[in-house]
Amino acid sequence: MNRVAITGYGVVSPIGTGCRPFWHSLRTGQSGIKGISRFDCATFNVQLAAQVNDELSLPATVADIAAEDPKVGFAYAAAREALAQAKLDQLPTDTLLHLGVSLETFDLHKVIHKGRVDFAAVAQRSLTGQRVRFQVPLDTAPTLIGESFGRPARTLTNCSACAAGAQAIGHGFRNVRAGRFGSAVCGGFDSLVNPLGIGGFELLGALTTDNDRGGGACRPFDASRNGTVLGEGAAVMVLEPMARAVAQHKHVLAEICGYGSSLDAHSLSAPDPTGNGATRAMRAALDDAGITPQQISHINTHGTGTHLNDQIEAMAIREVFGNGLWEEIPVSATKSITGHLIAAAGAVEVGACLLVLNEGVIPHNPSLNRIGRGCELAHVTGRNTTFEGEYVMTNSFGFGGQNCSLVLRKYDR
Amino acid sequence: MSVRTGHVVVTGRGMLTPLGATARASTDAWQKGGRATRHTLSELSGTSISDAEVASLPEFNASARIGNRRMLKFMSDASVLGCIAAKEASAEAMISKRFRPERIGLYAGAGLAAANVDEVREMIQASIDEDGEFSCRLLGESGLRVASPLLSFKILPNIPACLISILECIRGPSLLFTPWEGQTAAALLEAWQAVDDGEVDCALAGASDNATHPATYIHLKQARLLQDGEIPAPGAAYLVFEREETAVRDGQHIYARIRRMELSQTDLGAFDPLAERMGRSFAAAPAILMALACETQEKEIMIRGVDRQEFRAVLEEPE
Repeated sequence: MNRVAITGYGVVSPIGTGCRPFWHSLRTGQSGIKGISRFDCATFNVQLAAQVNDELSLPATVADIAAEDPKVGFAYAAAREALAQAKLDQLPTDTLLHLGVSLETFDLHKVIHKGRVDFAAVAQRSLTGQRVRFQVPLDTAPTLIGESFGRPARTLTNCSACAAGAQAIGHGFRNVRAGRFGSAVCGGFDSLVNPLGIGGFELLGALTTDNDRGGGACRPFDASRNGTVLGEGAAVMVLEPMARAVAQHKHVLAEICGYGSSLDAHSLSAPDPTGNGATRAMRAALDDAGITPQQISHINTHGTGTHLNDQIEAMAIREVFGNGLWEEIPVSATKSITGHLIAAAGAVEVGACLLVLNEGVIPHNPSLNRIGRGCELAHVTGRNTTFEGEYVMTNSFGFGGQNCSLVLRKYDR
Repeated sequence: MSVRTGHVVVTGRGMLTPLGATARASTDAWQKGGRATRHTLSELSGTSISDAEVASLPEFNASARIGNRRMLKFMSDASVLGCIAAKEASAEAMISKRFRPERIGLYAGAGLAAANVDEVREMIQASIDEDGEFSCRLLGESGLRVASPLLSFKILPNIPACLISILECIRGPSLLFTPWEGQTAAALLEAWQAVDDGEVDCALAGASDNATHPATYIHLKQARLLQDGEIPAPGAAYLVFEREETAVRDGQHIYARIRRMELSQTDLGAFDPLAERMGRSFAAAPAILMALACETQEKEIMIRGVDRQEFRAVLEEPE
């Protein structure tokens, strides 16, 4: 069994593009949540999102698709940064490329013809020259990355909603550890900042409508929390066997050493009220890493800012880290400033863990003023909270009841 | 990239295909040389491809098959197909009676996402302004008010598998891939490895796809993913994998032992051995092919997806 090193990390996020700017915003608590500028949302109840504002330099073929489906560009840029950091010009041929994503982008205007919904007319137009791209399949970004950076041994597109990015990383880790693949390039990418994405989640009642709160609208674990804020972005990392990475003098950002996955089997829209699914994912990750709860020194929570999710996650953490242990483990909730990046969230938040493990700083939750009932944990609310320890855990709990936890370890140079 | 083992077996099959509404009916029709019946898509009438055909499904009672009328309102067509196939496989292998839910894994493929045109028509129509253009302002003002609050459940590709986990009480690990043949093949491979490695005691693996959605059809034509004479098809198949010793211990019927599975990149064009008679069900095809092979003489199967991945599996008769 190989130990597995993270040797490259690339990120495109609402709080910064590139690892350093992203880390800087996490340190300062600079929120990426603002009024939506990508479309006219004046009549929507939800008018906030965490958008990527940075211009990405993309090759023409990628830029063409990204103009229609921004998340494709995010994935490409994040992968390019991760590979460069890992000193890889190309994807090695024994690589597993595995990215998570949630949903295709649907442009509603595409089915309108002469003032009415006329699918047949639009179909005809698209078949006779005036090309309308009806769908951008979810495997478009992984395929483009493979075409641009060299063909991997296997390309996978994971669609496990909010757990997708973390699952892709966990799966990549397991395969590199077992020696099935020589390396893994994995992560997540997403954007639901479009009329149907925002509208669909507004209909579900999952988003906050506290538009006047601006950057502080997403309030994980706060007593006043009333919904999440959708974000967008991507994060991709390179996983390699530790022995090889060290032998090649690569910069090891951290070791990834545990992965746990579970299903709630309870409800499409609400977590299991017992927290059983979340508890099992965390325990499985600890078992996989071969460590005890006492060895975890920081937890990056899923922390969406929705009423039930935060309460159930806090309960599950108190269960796993029982006997008062949870009172001593500082927890962060980075969605307070990044928004919820859905399938990209888990991968972006591994990047927050890398800040903790490399710079010894735990991101704080600037929108937590009064801890909600049932949300009691050792929340980090102050800047410059230092990390002391060896292992961290990060949680991703998906819409539909898919749970994933990862354990990372500080690399001792 | 392959894994070899002689100890993982198939003990349950569920299918809903153009050839039959159950695994037995699909297999019998396949063995007898049956072919899918076809129909045209009303949404494409008046276009230059108004005579384009897609494969039809046989009649089935979704409510009775799924056994949960309330859940039907959350389900897209692909969810309905997947839940029916999964229930059939799970019931045959009696997984809920024989395994702890936490020790059952779910490994699934999903096809291209597609909202039912009729389900979004009213919402979009209400969002068209006086100039005949789509208006975000009107979407917020009136379109969303007439939209189904359950719309997201109909289009998110993870929902079919999540519904299966709820209906079949599966609480172990999961992996969901999308949208083509190679991704479902990966799900089958992962399920096999998970049972073989002892990560789970039992795995439910398969996929559902409704490639006959008109938007999907247009995409398939535009991207030239249908070869001459090929038609898209709806379909679903799920299989139950477990270790041979547990199946023997419990007196479970064993369809086949999995001797080998391989998934590799290829430069060769897509090849689906089901296509000529059943139509192309893309993400569902590898699972249907494997479910059929469990009970036919075709013990070595191969399919090449449009995602340039080639899947091979070798099955053998149980002793």
